[in-house]
Amino acid sequence: MADTILSVRDLSTRFFTEEGQVNAVESVSFDVEDGEIFGIVGESGSGKSVTALSVIDLIESPGRVTQGEIWYRNADLADEFRGSKPEAVDGDLVDIRRLPKGVRRSLRGPSFSMVFQDPMSSFNPSITVGEQIAEAVEVQRRARSNPRSTRSRTQGYGLGSLLVDSLLPSKSYVDDESMDRAVELLDQVGIPDPEDRADEYPHQFSGGMLQRAMIAQALAGEPDILIADEPTTALDVTIQAQILNLLRDLQEQEGMSILMITHDLGVIARMCDRVGVMYAGEVVERGPLADIFENPVHPYTQGLLGSIPDVDDPSGRLEPISGNVPSLLDSEMPDACYFADRCPKAMTDCLTRIPEYELDGRHSVRCVLAEQEYDPADAVDSADAVDREVSADD
Amino acid sequence: MTEPLLAVRDLQKYYFEQDSFVDSLLGRDPTSVKAVDGISFEVERGETLGLVGESGCGKSTTGETLLRLREATGGTVTFDGTNVFEMDDDELKAFRRDAQIVFQDPFSSLDPRMTVGDIVAEPLKIHGIPETTETESKREWRRDKVADLLERVGLSANHLDRYPHEFSGGQRQRIGIARALALEPDFIVLDEPVSALDVSVQAQVLNLLDDLQAEFGLTYLFIAHDLSVVRHICDRVAVMYLGNVVELGPTDELFESPKHPYTKALLESVPRPSTTEHGRRVEALSGDVPSPRNPPSGCRFRTRCPQVIPPDDLDIEQGSYRALMDLRDALAVGDVNPDHIWDAADPDRADTEAFIEEARARHVDAELRGEVAGVVDTALGHLAEGEADSASETLRERFESPCETRRPAVGDAPHPAACHLYEGSDEVTVIETNAGATAEADD
Repeated sequence: MADTILSVRDLSTRFFTEEGQVNAVESVSFDVEDGEIFGIVGESGSGKSVTALSVIDLIESPGRVTQGEIWYRNADLADEFRGSKPEAVDGDLVDIRRLPKGVRRSLRGPSFSMVFQDPMSSFNPSITVGEQIAEAVEVQRRARSNPRSTRSRTQGYGLGSLLVDSLLPSKSYVDDESMDRAVELLDQVGIPDPEDRADEYPHQFSGGMLQRAMIAQALAGEPDILIADEPTTALDVTIQAQILNLLRDLQEQEGMSILMITHDLGVIARMCDRVGVMYAGEVVERGPLADIFENPVHPYTQGLLGSIPDVDDPSGRLEPISGNVPSLLDSEMPDACYFADRCPKAMTDCLTRIPEYELDGRHSVRCVLAEQEYDPADAVDSADAVDREVSADD
Repeated sequence: MTEPLLAVRDLQKYYFEQDSFVDSLLGRDPTSVKAVDGISFEVERGETLGLVGESGCGKSTTGETLLRLREATGGTVTFDGTNVFEMDDDELKAFRRDAQIVFQDPFSSLDPRMTVGDIVAEPLKIHGIPETTETESKREWRRDKVADLLERVGLSANHLDRYPHEFSGGQRQRIGIARALALEPDFIVLDEPVSALDVSVQAQVLNLLDDLQAEFGLTYLFIAHDLSVVRHICDRVAVMYLGNVVELGPTDELFESPKHPYTKALLESVPRPSTTEHGRRVEALSGDVPSPRNPPSGCRFRTRCPQVIPPDDLDIEQGSYRALMDLRDALAVGDVNPDHIWDAADPDRADTEAFIEEARARHVDAELRGEVAGVVDTALGHLAEGEADSASETLRERFESPCETRRPAVGDAPHPAACHLYEGSDEVTVIETNAGATAEADD
């Protein structure tokens, strides 16, 4: 078995909003192995993006990671903190949540970087694509020469900076070396004529090209783990195929690991070695691709697979999951399995919180069916039972 | 065969830019965006015709234009024997009762300040339904009818007085469907009705649409970009690319033996949710969809086609020919910058050989031999001297494809494909155009 590069344990992220506490991520655990593509799949609002943002430490107020450990394998950091923070070090692994903020920040780029869903809104429209990528290169370069004091671009874009820029036109954050590297990166992600395209603005790029540029930006720090949050959702299928090919090539060339977040089980099947299925903030089932797709245990996983029309076989009626995706407001979440109100196999045992069961070391599931057969005699009309508990408004 | 419910003939919808009064004063010529450029298809009674394509191919514009929600630029649409574009006000009002639409985005297509009951009753009110009632008031009659409709689409009658924001995406789409059903139409345009929904909810709505069609004998035009959804729900499918229909056929036939290279590529690209998909490497189409402002001459797909046809007298592998066509396209859109090639090859700009070698390494993704290599080197030689136009011309003279001079359209066969590969059969009709000249005029 390959070494684990990232191990997330019992991670919870909450948002403290005016409407109440939202449990976006609830006791999530998973591992990413060296050089693999691990997929997280789930519907909107299942907490998959928040999980990714929690790993890369980008949760902003009113959200907060409230508990959990994120173990990341990095021998240098482990040596550095073995003396001062022994509780944060375990062999070569460090718990990045217990490291100082500056250190956590310095990991963004060389350790983790992220590709976001919507390339059009992820770039600054008033700066050339090349400069934005060069900026990422520059940040890494400065960080290397002076670790722990990474400063990002400090100038603003107001009237003051406009005046300063016109008076001191040479005051550029990026130097030529970084710009050359940006062109190299654009070339690496398959952008034709990168020298010219580097001087263009984001609106001059097509969606697919801009997604390539964002991947180039993410590669600037040569990350160990690339987090791709719905990298192809905004793209058409033929362009999606190009981007997926590109991600796989880069993963092989660079030997990095990818944490792939998507709602599309087809993308998961094509790309990922292992998968975690998320529902209502929890990872309900997790394991190697074949186990999840061919022997799903959790009724939600089964329902998700049964909901997708098969492009190669139109026969048969779809078997959707009844009901809707639940609210994640703490006050409305039942003290039961979150899926029980939609589950076709809900039993009385489901009306308590369900732990994660290990099936065989690699495959785990958060469902009582892991340990017992479905017994219709024991079935509850769970929707009613759960509804009563949370006293729904109807 | 009985007469089709809806027949679309050569439908065109162009949008014009720089078309305002000020533009005419400044002497600017309007430029057209050919969103839909001459498409024809028929929808039989009781069937579901799928209209599938990537974003910007004109599928939604088609749906809205044939309902006369947008004014067509050309062509005819015949609904139940009457030309929709020539209807007077009364006929149009009657047509609106028979033909309805469900929009893609359930969040923006429902008025947030109206209750669900008012939203679904609005079409009834507009069309003055009911004309008379026996015991109850018209309002009560409509309320009962709406309650009935809501139950029919899987909501509850006591949702009547709630507002759209209280519902989830799937429930809102059900409200949109109830509104479309209110006037008991024969024909519904479903414009991406499930693409904003999560898969588990999407399956519910697809099943609902299936049930409603069976119950009310509805005819659907189902617009979608998701091929697996189309395969599931449609009887026949029309594949669109850049304002044209490229292939049209019965669903099973089209999915099992696609004819047009674009359909093949589209089907190949779809990620399948199964373990056999793992690690499958798709031969992705190169490049992006061209802009409808300046679409390619001849076959619209030729700039990305993996089966583009070389001239008769040229013996060349497909891979090399595709690479040459890509080089020509790159020259045409200005993606080849001789300055950068000189900088890399020979900053003193003396060694033309080195320039040609560098240009080939950068822009020609294939091994070239013999005559072909000679022509390419000559063209790149022109480029080295800064004459990009003569470089393009040299390449065009020798390598011009039949795909770029003549435009294919779908023929009369039951499963036609608009592709020159099928020339000589009734699957394709060819529109002769003098494309080379117009393309140059555009430059």
